[in-house]
Amino acid sequence: MTAATTSSPPVTDGLRTVGLTKTFGGVTAVDAATVTFQHGKVNALIGPNGSGKTTFFNCVTGMIKPDSGRVTYRGRDITGHAPHRIAKAGIGRSFQLCRIFPRMTVLENVLVAARRTSLGALLGSPRGRAEVDRARGWLTRVGIEHLADVEARNLSYGQQKLLELAGVLMGDPETILLDEPAGGVNPALIERIGTLVRQLNAEGRTFLIVEHNMDMVMSLSDHVIVFDRGRPIAEGPPSVIRSDPRVLEAYLGV
Amino acid sequence: MRSGSESRRRIGTLARLLALAIGTALVLSFPQVAPNPYVLSAGVVIVNYAVLATSWNLVGGFTGYISLGHGAYLGLGAYGTGLLVTRADVPSFVALVIAAAIVAVLAIPIGIASLRVRGASFVIVSIALVLILLLVFQSWASFTGGSNGLVVPRPFPGLRRPEHHMVFFYLFCALLALALLAWWIIDRSRFGLGLKAIREDEDKAQALGTPTFAYKLAAFVVSATFTALGGGMYALWFGDLDPIFQFSILTGAYMVLMALLGGVRHLFGPVLGALVVGYALEYFKLEYGDTQLHLVATGVLLGLVVLFMPDGVIPAVADLYARFFKPQAASIREVSTAELLAQRAAEAGAQPGGGDGGPGGEPGGTSVPTSAEAKR
Repeated sequence: MTAATTSSPPVTDGLRTVGLTKTFGGVTAVDAATVTFQHGKVNALIGPNGSGKTTFFNCVTGMIKPDSGRVTYRGRDITGHAPHRIAKAGIGRSFQLCRIFPRMTVLENVLVAARRTSLGALLGSPRGRAEVDRARGWLTRVGIEHLADVEARNLSYGQQKLLELAGVLMGDPETILLDEPAGGVNPALIERIGTLVRQLNAEGRTFLIVEHNMDMVMSLSDHVIVFDRGRPIAEGPPSVIRSDPRVLEAYLGV
Repeated sequence: MRSGSESRRRIGTLARLLALAIGTALVLSFPQVAPNPYVLSAGVVIVNYAVLATSWNLVGGFTGYISLGHGAYLGLGAYGTGLLVTRADVPSFVALVIAAAIVAVLAIPIGIASLRVRGASFVIVSIALVLILLLVFQSWASFTGGSNGLVVPRPFPGLRRPEHHMVFFYLFCALLALALLAWWIIDRSRFGLGLKAIREDEDKAQALGTPTFAYKLAAFVVSATFTALGGGMYALWFGDLDPIFQFSILTGAYMVLMALLGGVRHLFGPVLGALVVGYALEYFKLEYGDTQLHLVATGVLLGLVVLFMPDGVIPAVADLYARFFKPQAASIREVSTAELLAQRAAEAGAQPGGGDGGPGGEPGGTSVPTSAEAKR
């Protein structure tokens, strides 16, 4: 249905940051972070609370302007671009505490993310057949199609998480950043989200996941980056990260 | 089932068109049934309020940016029209259009400056602009007439007073129809969906690819332009402008109150609000003259609306109706066991492409609201 992106072997022209820095007052939340994410893979970003993961995430997606450093995507400099431009460049994101449009229906929530084709189309109906079909397709995919006409605020938290994911997917991003997809949801749903991520990754979408649920991180990701005090302190496949002494010290508290 | 809901929807559409036709006929026949010129002029004032509240709702209702300073565009529209007529001898209605165009252009830099801040900060910025303009138009008396006022010649000098009111009643109605049409078109468009997304969660909308700033600015400019048209039309009708009334925070507050009272999510919400508030204002002014009682009443009304009908009269009444006459419209969380089983069966049967790669059934897993999830 959706055009899959290049499924060639690992390329490094995906998302990169070089010396990314962001300070709030005297606190350096992100400290000269240089990270290269593996394009086409599931990347995980882990680290203790306050290690700068979410700030890093927000700098990458344009919600916060970094003080210095660069963010590049597929060779293009996207540092400091507005969030909607970054979304158009092909990077979709979810929010830590799940953000949806509560007073819109589930279907409308997803339709918001549809790409407009031209300026003239702006005054056209958002309920074009092709768009609605695509939106319903994503709702089916995440499993809440039967709730399409319900106001989103009536959904349970787990369903809202699925809805947020459907909205992100509607924008057809080739890289998807998920901020704590397993936070606050039941194990069955974590399993479902994990399965979805795996399938979508197999279809060519790159993932970057910030997550505290170690089971999910270890089982899902190809590449793990460990953050501490605003910068990466270790990276590698899950099996290596699991036994890295620096990681154990900084994060797992051993 | 589907055809049933389809025909029900058709009946609903028909009923709405009928109500619209009746409402329009009632409004348009008002000048004929108005007992005296005073009542007719009160009608003109109320339709003018309806234009202003609907114009305000183009930005306030869609984006949730509450501007208390829309009096600025009203005043600029009124003075722009008046000054073009008196100082440059431009024909009245050409002056009206030019003044609105000038306001549209001015609204771009004003919007760029003020729409950067949200919430309470935006409200304050919007107020600041009116106050600045008030001082400018009061102090620059050589050009604007200052506090002595600016007399705007009538566009139809041959008409007697009642006829003058009647003509302007219809002109205001035409303007109202135009503003309502604009709101209706935007409401149903992709643009409108984006604006509503901004109202709900601006950051989220932007993260999903909506160029939020451009959207807000466009809505702001359209809103300011319609407000200016309302102000300019007032100038031509009333014929006497004073900065203290034109650049008034009170007018901006009335627009907000009317829109909130009627319901900002509804096409006719601001019109209904204008009817209620406009009538109440006239009543209080008539009964209690120059006291400030109408202000007290307005404040109390605003308090009541915010406390008891945060979404306005229309949704409040609709909810009440639904509660008593549509008991079957239950919450989605109340799914019966039979429905649940049917949903699961349907899901297990038809999920070709995106089906779970995971182990077979995973019955507890997920798309159907499981009881634990559903209770949240």
